[in-house]
Amino acid sequence: MPSEQELQIQISPIVQESLVHNSRTLYNLQSITASLFGVSAGILGLESYAGFVFYVALSLLTSVLFYVLRVAPTSLASGKSPLDTSRYFRGAYDFWAGGLMNGFAGFVLTWTLFYGLVTA
Amino acid sequence: MAQVPVQTIHRDPQLFYWILFPITIVMILTGVLRHYATVLMASAPKKQDQKTTREQRSLLHGINVRGNYHVLSKPSLTTRRDALITAYESGAYLKNPDGRGQPPPNPMSDPSAMEGMMGMMKNQMAMIIPNTLIMSWINAFFSGYVIMKLPFPLTIKFKSMLQAGVATRDMDPRWMSSISWYFLCIFGLQSVFNFLLGSENAASQMAQQMNQMGPQGAGQMFGPGVDPNKQFLAEAENLAVIEHHSVLDGVEQRLLAGIKV
Repeated sequence: MPSEQELQIQISPIVQESLVHNSRTLYNLQSITASLFGVSAGILGLESYAGFVFYVALSLLTSVLFYVLRVAPTSLASGKSPLDTSRYFRGAYDFWAGGLMNGFAGFVLTWTLFYGLVTA
Repeated sequence: MAQVPVQTIHRDPQLFYWILFPITIVMILTGVLRHYATVLMASAPKKQDQKTTREQRSLLHGINVRGNYHVLSKPSLTTRRDALITAYESGAYLKNPDGRGQPPPNPMSDPSAMEGMMGMMKNQMAMIIPNTLIMSWINAFFSGYVIMKLPFPLTIKFKSMLQAGVATRDMDPRWMSSISWYFLCIFGLQSVFNFLLGSENAASQMAQQMNQMGPQGAGQMFGPGVDPNKQFLAEAENLAVIEHHSVLDGVEQRLLAGIKV
């Protein structure tokens, strides 16, 4: 007999395409906001640690806002506990911290560009 | 410890207009061009003859039955399983049933295999040629300039990478030359392409390399050099060991548990 978890998936299957679509939407949001954070960090003239802290704080804020505005209303209504994203995303780590990885290169690029342009 | 004074270098603002913006614009346009070139060069999937299609589809049929057996009733599964196993073991679905047990032909001599390799070669070329061209373009025109200062400090190890072509020993590694701006563009422009071309673009070579390292399961399954007879026999064995259970087992209890009075 299959394990409890397999049985659960067989009873209520997950549509792979929807999952992929959700993570792609999240990825787009993360990469675009990361570039915009880079622009603002550059214009503010932040240097070294201040810039990285700025990035980490703002991308976590983006995740929280995304959760509160898009995920929470239906997720809480369907009986999930708060801060649980398993209704739409697989893996809580990817949802909360994935933005830090995905957008980092874009952030450094635009940060450098605008820092150079502003302080020149 | 005395504070190291911050180095300031007075640069001509024209550097931005004549070096920074050209490199950035060329990088973005190359990405867009690469995306559309990949779209245009993508060859339509080749038409396969009936026997080959039957061979592949029947194997997929077995795999799907194995993956979704829990939605079938027990007699239904048994009938399917028996039919599939008999057909697999007798080789009824094989493209050429006479060739059983013989070693597979050399993949190099198979024309359909060459097709696939040509596709890969084309993709590789579409990545390598623009990169080489742009690298040599930047080296020829823009080497030896210091154009920007990074907003974060780096260790001295990065000096040779960031300041290639600038032979100044005491300069802070934060100053970067045009070639390092090119490298930053390679890594960071993915989000710009996402914005411009949608997230399924083929513009960034970084993403493409990630894909190549990724799963190759679907492509390899019917790839050249794989003996379909062995695949069939393995699949027959997998089907034979299925222990049937249905999602409808115990559904009454689940329903009753879900009803709130």
